[in-house]
Amino acid sequence: MLLETEGLTKRFGGITAVDGVDFALETGELCSIIGPNGAGKTTFFNLLTGVLEPSDGRIRFDPESGGDAGGASAGADGTGSAIDITAASPDETALAGIHRSYQITNLFPTLSVLENVRVAAQASRGSDSWKLWRNVADFEDHYAEATRILERIGLAGEAETVTQNLSHGEKRSLEIGVALAGNPDLLLLDEPTAGVSSEGVDDVVALIEDVAEDHSVMLIEHNMEVVMDISDRIAVLHRGELIADGPPEDVRGDEAVQEAYLGGYGREGSEAAGDGSDDEATDGDVADGDAAADGGRRVRAGGEPR
Amino acid sequence: MDETDAPVDESDPIPPSTATGGLREYLRDHAVHAAVIFGFLLYPLAYEALLATPAAPFAEAFLPAVTFMIVVLYMGLFAMSFDFVSGYTGYLSFGHAAFFGTGAYFVVLAANGQVPGVPGGTPFMITLLLGAVVAGLLALVIGSVSFRLTGVYFAMITLGFAQVIYELIRSWGYVSTNPTEGATVSGDALAIGVPYVDALSLDVGRLTGESVENLLGLGVDLSATVVSYYALGIVVVVCYFAMQRIIHSPFGRVMIAIRENEERARAVGYPTYRFKLAAFAVSGFFGAIAGGIFAAYSRSVAPDGTFYFLVTADALITTIIGGFGTLAGPIYGTLFTQGLEDVLSTESGGVATLLRERLPESVLQADLFGISLELFVNTAVDGRAPLYLGIVFVLFVLFVPNGILGTLRDRLGGTVGKRLPDHLRRYFR
Repeated sequence: MLLETEGLTKRFGGITAVDGVDFALETGELCSIIGPNGAGKTTFFNLLTGVLEPSDGRIRFDPESGGDAGGASAGADGTGSAIDITAASPDETALAGIHRSYQITNLFPTLSVLENVRVAAQASRGSDSWKLWRNVADFEDHYAEATRILERIGLAGEAETVTQNLSHGEKRSLEIGVALAGNPDLLLLDEPTAGVSSEGVDDVVALIEDVAEDHSVMLIEHNMEVVMDISDRIAVLHRGELIADGPPEDVRGDEAVQEAYLGGYGREGSEAAGDGSDDEATDGDVADGDAAADGGRRVRAGGEPR
Repeated sequence: MDETDAPVDESDPIPPSTATGGLREYLRDHAVHAAVIFGFLLYPLAYEALLATPAAPFAEAFLPAVTFMIVVLYMGLFAMSFDFVSGYTGYLSFGHAAFFGTGAYFVVLAANGQVPGVPGGTPFMITLLLGAVVAGLLALVIGSVSFRLTGVYFAMITLGFAQVIYELIRSWGYVSTNPTEGATVSGDALAIGVPYVDALSLDVGRLTGESVENLLGLGVDLSATVVSYYALGIVVVVCYFAMQRIIHSPFGRVMIAIRENEERARAVGYPTYRFKLAAFAVSGFFGAIAGGIFAAYSRSVAPDGTFYFLVTADALITTIIGGFGTLAGPIYGTLFTQGLEDVLSTESGGVATLLRERLPESVLQADLFGISLELFVNTAVDGRAPLYLGIVFVLFVLFVPNGILGTLRDRLGGTVGKRLPDHLRRYFR
């Protein structure tokens, strides 16, 4: 098992944002985390990366677990080669092999595109960052690695561009590029298509599929079309709880999921209002990607607990 | 996203470092450095030469005297050390005077044999380094607490630490019988150069420094002040290149990443706390060197001139005027403020003296809103540098927020050393 959480819980005062989540991820999987707005998806990522410390529960991470599911998982469960990262800080989880991208673009704005990726690649190269007396240009492998990643994310032509001058779609790709630079064993992508135009989404999705070839990926995404299309597995969070976890076709038919997505908020309202929102949500979330992306943004303003 | 197939960018991201063109590359990169250092080298000679010409009154009035240039050197170095941590990691070190003071007091106390374990006759260069190491350790202590905070709270807590140390030093009887007045070096002049080798050392100090007659048989005489200027200049240049080297190292790039986005810097795997602490210690080290050479030159230190928060304010003002996060900018900022100070003071010429001596009596007595012009000069020009500096500072913050060097770099599109040759070529073709 690459990643395993046990009763993972995060409480903010009286609100329980993540509630007793038992989750496991195999090496090589692409698992999407979905759920209505405010379900605790980003909080879940923040717990995994050490940005937040869990109120309860444990997180184990085992980058050595290898690709072949059978033997490796047996070995991992038995020998305990997994490390406990429950209380690890963000830099420790990163060095352990978990890297993430952000829902709201979170780059080094005044540095060049190349330097954004290069400085991220430098972090995973041990003591290089503590060499005060050598010129950074001497570390050609950092530059080579960064250039390779820029080619992969399609930004090789923008290497010298100042990051804040990139288009929004390019920034979203660079988000993934910076996360890739740490050579992650597990890549957490938080809404990589947020705010991307409908033509741009295809590029980002192609990039995610490409990256998923050689990385284990967890993906938070509101665009259901994308999620159903590329996921090996889907986990559904609702009010902090994991209510479904399985292959896309199973999750699509799951009653609890239908309830959470379509009826969850309508229940407090009148029957008629509930019906109305049913239709709207069906159209918005499942059929039309852009509307879903808009919905994601609206909630951010409204305040998903992070 | 369609540029996937575009050729890998034209400008090679990896500068050739060891190839045959290495030396030429190196010289070209450092042409501006060399020019600036050469300018500072020639300045005292040019200034003294000008004083022998009919232009002397104007030179005295508008050019900073060598004594002011010495202030530019040590305060410039101090401001650079301030910029090193504040401009590159984004954490404003408002207590930086603590390091300046530590360096200055350590040197003076060591010269008087008052530092346990450091015998009285220890060469200045060694006590200077020891004082800087002590300041670096002090920075680790202050930083280990302060870096738990960010933004304005970090600035305030470092300021608090420095003020506490200032008050302690003011009342620490061990320093001298009158600690509020500080301490004075009682022994010989302190020498900058190679320790234990007289021929390679230069005594510094306005009165105690050594003067050179007929330098290398060229018929040039150097006063004690000018010799001190050169000796301090050597230390400043060495420190500048050391800091510049660190800025351009992988470590320096982490400092910049922290300034740009500390959250992301942590997320890609940097334990930022440790990096900030190390940068702070390096900064404190060089701040103490500035204090040490100041003490060696002035031979006396007082709490108000070293540990006081206005010393930090000087560094802050000159750094903003010179350019935040440019490293070399603060020295130009200091040159600017000291130049202004010199022009408006009467200590060495100055514009007030010039006006009083040069203007005809009738003009001086002319009525200006009810007061004579002479009275106006006396009250509004003579020694009023802080007033005008304040106005200039406000104008800089409003209209030139990137400072002198920062704006120049923006205009040229890169560092002056890298970009100026191309720009010049365009004009001289």
